[in-house]
Amino acid sequence: MRTEDLIRTLASEAKPVQRLAHPGWRVAYWLSISLAYVAMVVLIMGTRSDLAAKSGEARFVIEVAAAFLTGVMAAAAAFCAGSPGRPLWERFAPLPPLALWLGSLGEGCWQDWLRAGPDGLTIQPDFMCFPSILMVSLVPGALILMMIRRGAPTTPVLTTALATLAASALGAAGLRLFHASDASLMILVWQFGTVAILTAFGALFGRKLLHWPERPVVGSEADALATRM
Amino acid sequence: MGDDSAEARDKNWRTLMRAAQDGDGAAYSRLLCEILPLLRRMVARKWRGAQDVDDIVQDILLSVHAVRHTYDPTRAFMPWLMTIAARRIADAARRSSARSANEATVETMPETFDADETKSEQDRSDDHGAIEHAMSGLPQGQRQAVEFLKLKGLSLEEASAATGKSVTSLKVTMHRALKAMRKALEEKR
Repeated sequence: MRTEDLIRTLASEAKPVQRLAHPGWRVAYWLSISLAYVAMVVLIMGTRSDLAAKSGEARFVIEVAAAFLTGVMAAAAAFCAGSPGRPLWERFAPLPPLALWLGSLGEGCWQDWLRAGPDGLTIQPDFMCFPSILMVSLVPGALILMMIRRGAPTTPVLTTALATLAASALGAAGLRLFHASDASLMILVWQFGTVAILTAFGALFGRKLLHWPERPVVGSEADALATRM
Repeated sequence: MGDDSAEARDKNWRTLMRAAQDGDGAAYSRLLCEILPLLRRMVARKWRGAQDVDDIVQDILLSVHAVRHTYDPTRAFMPWLMTIAARRIADAARRSSARSANEATVETMPETFDADETKSEQDRSDDHGAIEHAMSGLPQGQRQAVEFLKLKGLSLEEASAATGKSVTSLKVTMHRALKAMRKALEEKR
């Protein structure tokens, strides 16, 4: 097919399209539905009994807030990555809160070490983390994966990684509200580990989920082939 | 091109793209025609010596068409277009390197090529005749599968789109067709 003919075909198919909303609005939409779901799960599971006392602890507040912000910023970055031509730095937006989150966990490990020595840094199996985070991030994850498919697949691997990071970080923040496990190393290994695994898993499916249209055998070409039979 | 005229051009394209998003086919056609030389130049520059410049340009145009709703008319048009074009050129480069991994480039043809010829013109035309005969004996669906997949070289997905048959059913049909043709050729021999 000649390129000029292709342009004619495309122009004749140019139906009005609904423009993609600004990434800010899309984050707001995603967050409102996701937060409602996370709140529902937290209520059903029952908030941890010491939540009131915990919410006065600076480290707990910083850690949960950083996880939550990582989720929000990763969602914003995923939406920005699907709008071609936006500045590159936007894709790194989740890095500061992510660093803060890791930093607060690292500082927690350090404090545990100072307090109890090697005993403060023991790792026990905690098999509740993975399924719990998965459960809390199920709806946010499904929603954001659906939403990023509306965007352009310019950076498919990064976009799905950011999207799964957004959902799982939100899940990890939610988990802290009903799962009473406070040893920083345990959180680092089991909760942050879960987030890392889910993010890597998201990246793995990037090209499957987001891709450009295959060049179709368009109208007249298919007809021409069929009539030759 | 000065900054002013580049800005004026971008402003013009922004307006055309906004109209195209609202369903204005004429504005869309004008926009695509105006960006066409630019895309051709860009592909030709990044893709030296390629004969399939227009194939890649068409990929870019189809991609632009598929994601035209992602353009934000409050932002400049060129960065949007260039991001898509750069992605598609990179994809084409990846496809091409995957393809050339299975091909060997021969710089000079062996000079004895002619002398080694094992088939005469007569043999060749006999072969064509035998294959055509074997094909003519196939049921219509099988013949169509051979034509699309082997003669036209379409992929299974493309052939599926063109015939309306599923990929699995095309595979089965193709398998049966080849079996039948093999049998027909052996009988002839």
